[in-house]
Amino acid sequence: MPENRTRPAYRIIGKAAPRPDAWAKVFGDTAYAHDYTVPGMLCAKVLRSRHPAARVLSIDTGDAEKLPGVDAVLTAKDVPNNETATRFGQTHQVGGFEGLYRVLAEKKIRFKGEAVALVAATSEAVAEEALGLIHVEYEPLEGVFDPVEAKQAGAYQVGEDESNVICSYKVRKGDVEEGFKLADVVVEQTYRVPMVDHAYLEPESGVAWLDQDGVITIRSATQVIEHFRGIADVLGVSHNRVRIIAPMLGGGFGGKEDITVETYLALLVWKTRKPVSLTYTREESIRSHGKRHPYVMRYKTGATKAGKLVALEAELTSDAGGYVYLSPWVLLYSTVGATGPYDIPHVKVDSETVLTNNTFSSANRGFGAPQVCFACESQLDELAKQLGLSPLEIRRKNYLRTGDALATGRVLEHSVETEQTADRALEALGEPSGPSSPTERIGRGIASSMTSYGRMTFLHDTSRALVSIEMDGSVSVRCGLQDVGGGQASSLAQIAAEVLGVPMEDVTVYVGDSALTPLAGTTTATRLLYMSGNATKKAATAVRHSLVKKAADLLDVDPEELAMGDRQIYSAGDPDRAVALERVVKACAADGIPLYDVAQFNAPARELIDFQTGQGQVFPDFTFGTQAMEVSVDIETGAVKVLKIVSCYDVGQAINTLSAEGQLHGGALYGLGYGMMEEVVLDKGNTLTPSFAEYLIPSAVDVPDVKTIMIESGGGVGPFGAKGLGEPSCVPAAAAFANAVSDAIGARVCDLPVTPERILKALGRF
Amino acid sequence: MTTYPIDIKVNGEWKRAEVTARETLLDALRNRLRAFEVKDGCSQGDCGACTVILAGRAVNACLTLAVQANGKEITTLKGVGTSENPDPLQKSFVEHGAIQCGFCTPGVVVSAKALLEANPNPNREEIREGISGNLCRCTGYTQIVEAIEDAAAHGRRGVGEREDA
Amino acid sequence: MRKTKTKTVTSTTYLRPTDLNDLQQIMAEHQGRAAVVAGATDMIPQMRAGRTLPAVLVDLCEIAELSFIREEHGSIAIGATTTMAKLASSPIIASGSPFLATAARQVGHPQTRNRATIGGNLANASPSADTAPPLLALGAAVQIMSPDGAIRDVPLHQFFHSYRVTDLGEGDVLTRITFPRPPDGAAGRFTKIGLRSASSISVASVAVMLEMEETTCRTARVAAGSVAPIPMRVFRIEELLEGHEIGETLVEECSELLRAEISPISDVRGSDKYRSYVASAVLKRQIEMAVADRRTFGA
Repeated sequence: MPENRTRPAYRIIGKAAPRPDAWAKVFGDTAYAHDYTVPGMLCAKVLRSRHPAARVLSIDTGDAEKLPGVDAVLTAKDVPNNETATRFGQTHQVGGFEGLYRVLAEKKIRFKGEAVALVAATSEAVAEEALGLIHVEYEPLEGVFDPVEAKQAGAYQVGEDESNVICSYKVRKGDVEEGFKLADVVVEQTYRVPMVDHAYLEPESGVAWLDQDGVITIRSATQVIEHFRGIADVLGVSHNRVRIIAPMLGGGFGGKEDITVETYLALLVWKTRKPVSLTYTREESIRSHGKRHPYVMRYKTGATKAGKLVALEAELTSDAGGYVYLSPWVLLYSTVGATGPYDIPHVKVDSETVLTNNTFSSANRGFGAPQVCFACESQLDELAKQLGLSPLEIRRKNYLRTGDALATGRVLEHSVETEQTADRALEALGEPSGPSSPTERIGRGIASSMTSYGRMTFLHDTSRALVSIEMDGSVSVRCGLQDVGGGQASSLAQIAAEVLGVPMEDVTVYVGDSALTPLAGTTTATRLLYMSGNATKKAATAVRHSLVKKAADLLDVDPEELAMGDRQIYSAGDPDRAVALERVVKACAADGIPLYDVAQFNAPARELIDFQTGQGQVFPDFTFGTQAMEVSVDIETGAVKVLKIVSCYDVGQAINTLSAEGQLHGGALYGLGYGMMEEVVLDKGNTLTPSFAEYLIPSAVDVPDVKTIMIESGGGVGPFGAKGLGEPSCVPAAAAFANAVSDAIGARVCDLPVTPERILKALGRF
Repeated sequence: MTTYPIDIKVNGEWKRAEVTARETLLDALRNRLRAFEVKDGCSQGDCGACTVILAGRAVNACLTLAVQANGKEITTLKGVGTSENPDPLQKSFVEHGAIQCGFCTPGVVVSAKALLEANPNPNREEIREGISGNLCRCTGYTQIVEAIEDAAAHGRRGVGEREDA
Repeated sequence: MRKTKTKTVTSTTYLRPTDLNDLQQIMAEHQGRAAVVAGATDMIPQMRAGRTLPAVLVDLCEIAELSFIREEHGSIAIGATTTMAKLASSPIIASGSPFLATAARQVGHPQTRNRATIGGNLANASPSADTAPPLLALGAAVQIMSPDGAIRDVPLHQFFHSYRVTDLGEGDVLTRITFPRPPDGAAGRFTKIGLRSASSISVASVAVMLEMEETTCRTARVAAGSVAPIPMRVFRIEELLEGHEIGETLVEECSELLRAEISPISDVRGSDKYRSYVASAVLKRQIEMAVADRRTFGA
């Protein structure tokens, strides 16, 4: 249950509200992307590169095209605009970096798994056979697989005529040289974090067809229906001739944020004029779609003997893989977040993201924050150890508080409750467990984070929602959002129901159709509740206003006196003075008063920050939290048992407590996997962990219950003072785990994942 | 391509399909019998999304040959319960927030059903063990475990009786 | 969606014999073209990856004579198509050789265990086959039926020849596994080290069975998995232990000897050094615990 200062009196907001979409899911009625069939549907397959770095000398598709049952074989030459520049932002163009989006391979292959050709055939078996009949001549090239190597002069060039270094940032605050002179203790360490996968249970998938008017319609598991623009540009058709529908997704986590199957489907539909279906295999998903960036992070942190942080110097190098995608933005998040939720007078951060011939990395839940959190929080524990302070003590001496400024100069004007989250998380661990055998050691660790929600402010983010009320008083919400499973659609029902005084069951939400629902923007950057929630609240409030005004006429009272509830509009002071909602609706209709509103919510719009000093406001707001873990480590085998996990966050205002808790539980495990067992292992660009047999994520027996504590400061910029939780909930888990293990064994593992092997190595066993 | 006719009783109804020898039960259920509630998360038995009950035991449909199911009874999520006649597990899952993206749900609920049929009053460790073959990336398992525990504790509820949320 | 690497789509014939005679006739007719399948938990991934494409699939699941667990003249006999789930819950295994049940319980996860069979586990001969080390430590033998109907018994430690190569020739079928029921007072343990608590291919596994007379070891069997191309008996450690008093020094020597005897590889799951270290740490622990609790069978 959420703990809060003063509990506002809401009817539905803040309750445990079973989600409407959960029913269809639990009865097996939800049609995910791969569950949708269209008569006459062809099956598509993608031929992928056999080499991570190569020139494509020739592609002979003749044999494949002749195979009975094959309808189309496409290569780069068949794509009207095979190369476009990835634009960031919906309408606001941001200068600086334009990532190359290449549909099918041409010129140089830049990672293994790059798409070379597409096939559409009458069955999966035929499509698979056709792939084997496409003859590609490659000239393998040297390639480069280490970002540190790739950024050196003379390194193999991944692209055509660009440097391997995509971009770099700096943060400068004070003077670190002076700062370190003031330090009594300095800890210097290099941390490495691996490439990891989103591992959503639903692989990338979609079905596309031409509708009766020749509009290319794509129904796919995507976090961004706005991709219709980019796809239209590839095909050279008008934007209004491509439509994307997002059904319920089986998980996104940023992995379905970039285009996956959509362009391929569009091309094949456009070529064959028939419906086409494409679903990746799990191996294809792990091998060839975007990952979380591996980083090398050199950190130097200095503190006084009283425990006050005085200087932090960090060098971050991220491995972007073969293509740019969102690497510059992920790097920016890391750069701004490198100092954690702490007040440090002297800061120097230098960061770079570098092309290599590894699988490309892009958005993954946390978007650059988990990496630096691991480094920053590990450093703090090391300092604490050397200073004889507890991990909690050192953090308390340094937490940023409301009104403080970040190293980027941005002032934290909304509530900052990090210290409270740390106190309560640690307290909730309770009495330390005792080891169950002589070779076990118990350890405890905490990690705090501040993670943004809402997109970067220089993208001038906007979102729209349409709320309408039907003749019988039921409510419809139409919003272009994409529901990845976090209850995005359900939250809008809850908000509309609260504002209009109806039960949640009276609200139906229609989402995710670029032709029929107002565009809401991406389901990314933990922006949905903030942006679409606010837009929905705005639209519902406008509708409410009209209804209340009409009801005031009908009841002959002041509109200020009226309240809405139980499908009625009534006088708050004299509840018997009431009129049925349905009657008010009909009265409005009769008088030509609109019974709907389309509202647009604009996030604060700022200009691009100065990338040389890193000064400026990048994000609308942050969510602050702490996770605490207790582990038992077997010092002979290195095996770790996670005994306790506590996740404590200031959620601002929980909209749906079931959903909010679910984010905290799920986020903790998403981050714990990163800390404990996940790694996409590559050998010269070749993925050695392509399936769930090698790529391990936590199962139900690897983890205990997650205990959650929600603080409700009301200080969020989302609807009703809510803060975003989707990404913040996963950021500190890996760091908390690593700190707990370090506490148990008295040594530190500086590379993730903290595996039994690495633990034994840290103990000097071999 | 040689095909074999198979008769399988899916959720109480006998169905016939023509399958090849190498086809998996998962392929047959989804592609031939349109049982789309059975999900394909990995095609090789690592994730549990395709869990069905075959001849009384929870198995991965992707690791069972369709021909081997000939003459046998299979229960999918839709055989556990429907909106007209929901199983207590299904109600419990919804009420506990144990469903986020829902893709693992068909498999988890079927595994939970098999667990409770073999062990009507499992403790939390046994529940976790029972669903250890069902990966979930969204929920962190805690609410799923609570939902199963709750369903087990209350036994069968009548249709239409729902606890207040 | 299934992923197949077949160049040409070939057809597979499916046969479902109902008794051993039937089976023998089928194998005689098809020999090397036929592959037997039971749980299919290994066969399907192999077919999907294109590593095998049998012309004939022979399903063993309907042959009642192949699915049993029974006591026979002081031995325990297990039919080849007995599933891991049945092994894990069998009262005979629980009382006779509980550490075999422990191993069966750790194969994959519940869904796998309801299908995967002991025969398949051994016949596929993965170096990390979970039931192999305990069966080796139990001194098990497998019975093999040839296509001509001839029956032969092969001690398990002679069954595994090299990486995924066994004594099974073309058309041979593994029909049962037998081992002498351990005497009261024999202590067996099995430990599997995986990277996750469920559904984890082992990085090292060790099985030990000791028969003690006070503090002296009368008989010892030691087996290890995932640390060599085949699941292996470690005879030299057994020789070191048998007839001797087991104290700290001897245990340390055994642990060192294990490192010398095994040849683990480095792969994505772990380096050779790690496997070596952890296998020997586990062996040490197992011997100590088996000695300390002579009447315990489980891990």
